[in-house]
Amino acid sequence: MRENQTVVCRCEEVTLEELLKTIQTYKCSSRELKLRTRAGMGVCGGRTCRASLDHLISQKEGINPTDSIPLKYQPPIRPITFKNLGDI
Amino acid sequence: MNKRIINHPILDTLADNKEVSFSFNGKNHNAVEGDTIASALLANGICTLRYHEESGNPRGVYCNIGHCFECRVKVGNSDIVRACLTPVEEGMKIETLTQYPTPLKGGS
Amino acid sequence: MIDVIVIGGGPAGLSAANTCARNGLQVLVLDEFMKPGGRLLGQLHEEPDGEWWNGIKEASVLASNADNLGVDVKLGVSVHNLQSDKGNWIVFTNKGKFRSTNLLLATGAAETPLPLPGWTLPGVMSIGAAQVMTNVHRVKVGEKGVIVGMNILSFAIMRELRLAGIQVDQVLLPPRNELSTESSNPLKIIDDLSEAAHLAPGFIMKWGAKLMRVKALRKIGLSFYPSNGFKIWDVPIQLKQAVVEILGDKKVEGVKVVKLNTKGDPIPGAEKIVEADFVCIAGGLYPLVELAAISGCPFHYIPELGGHIPLHNERMETPVDGLYVSGNITGIESAKIAMAQGVVAGLSISQKVTKRIKLEEMTKAIEHVHDVRAKSIIQFHPDIQKGRKKIEKLWNHYYQEKKQTKIPSIENSI
Repeated sequence: MRENQTVVCRCEEVTLEELLKTIQTYKCSSRELKLRTRAGMGVCGGRTCRASLDHLISQKEGINPTDSIPLKYQPPIRPITFKNLGDI
Repeated sequence: MNKRIINHPILDTLADNKEVSFSFNGKNHNAVEGDTIASALLANGICTLRYHEESGNPRGVYCNIGHCFECRVKVGNSDIVRACLTPVEEGMKIETLTQYPTPLKGGS
Repeated sequence: MIDVIVIGGGPAGLSAANTCARNGLQVLVLDEFMKPGGRLLGQLHEEPDGEWWNGIKEASVLASNADNLGVDVKLGVSVHNLQSDKGNWIVFTNKGKFRSTNLLLATGAAETPLPLPGWTLPGVMSIGAAQVMTNVHRVKVGEKGVIVGMNILSFAIMRELRLAGIQVDQVLLPPRNELSTESSNPLKIIDDLSEAAHLAPGFIMKWGAKLMRVKALRKIGLSFYPSNGFKIWDVPIQLKQAVVEILGDKKVEGVKVVKLNTKGDPIPGAEKIVEADFVCIAGGLYPLVELAAISGCPFHYIPELGGHIPLHNERMETPVDGLYVSGNITGIESAKIAMAQGVVAGLSISQKVTKRIKLEEMTKAIEHVHDVRAKSIIQFHPDIQKGRKKIEKLWNHYYQEKKQTKIPSIENSI
């Protein structure tokens, strides 16, 4: 089915099928899903796919969203060059 | 450049901005001052800006405001910029980012 | 020393910056785009009185005021980190570090995707991308395309594309799959649309009668919904058709559309191909809170406001000392509300620095936010008021609990 080949994380080209399999096998959190599949770890920092990842987990694992942000935000929130890194 | 929206029923008529010439993958094109790299290319009918570094799948502008990083291009010799946020400049040499060679993949 | 750095030069950020500058503060605005105005740029819709809301003009008024008031607006600057250091903020950017005593986050919103097969092809873009390309850069995104996703934003931008002479063939539902939210549920969309009709009779006067019909349809579901949709501004709105795949080899060539039965399920075999050279994805907006999260500000999940929201009060203060928020980072609403909130944030920051802001001026500015909200013609969530009440209650709760600790408050300082 073409549908499962849908790319969810555009940066790392992680498909829906891969995400569903990982969720099924590991019953994981958004964070674990990210670490296992690299979804949300690409150059955009998950800005595009984070809503989809959170949604998948809450659907599959039956977890309702809570006040804590499922996928932690970490600096840098934009990719930086080595030159900028030197400024920190 | 027939993709320009010159007349508009509500917005002002498009200002007659100065022309800017630039190259994309070695081919020369014209744009106008005020264009981003992304709008300059689209005005020339080019919507494919990069190829995914691993799969080689073609990509274009997705969010157009700097969030998604899909429109990355190479400017000059080394700078990688977001085409949607970067003003096009006279004489700019812009190139597509292409698939990386991945010699380690499939080898083990 | 800079009194306040404003991150985001949109309606909220510029209004706040101008308010601060009017009160004598040293203000620095940072924005990634090359023009000031944020997502005001490109907005274009007809008000109930027949006047046009032109975001480009609104942005240029804000920007020229900023200029006259001596606000330092730095464009093309991307912020990647921030830190609090002995009562100062350090903001890290691609153009170096900046320091200030106060920080306002006015980073706006990002678009929620609707992933579907083929959506990475060149020519597929978010609906906001099409708006900027059309109205700001004045380049056509294509000759004939479709919009996937139905909400107030997709209808507003659909009209903008048509005004610019771009053919929008139809507006279709996203596919129903593990990723789909209520955006693929036609009955929910009917609810939202009829709510919008109720809230904003002027804005959608031209669709009015049709939406009333839709509202009546709500009771009987999709049974009698015309299979070719009804039209808004001459574009068919297909509540019984979903895009299941975007087709194309090297770029978009068309979409595969499936017909849905009265329950919203796909009818096997009822597929067709619609040719298109562009596709817009309209999944809605969510608050862009990444910098607030890094700052250590507490968060609350408030779906009516668009998701996770940094805790704040009506004065746009957060529990973090010297940190303020305004605009869509506090909840998805229109630019007019962002501007009104920006003034409030500007007054709060000015009060902290100068201690000279009159309470009545602050009260008036907050009331203005309420007024604008009550009169708002573009409502992104029907329960926005409920969401605002929730965050207010949470703030009061937090304040009660932490009464002993120092919480920034205008009442304390006046």
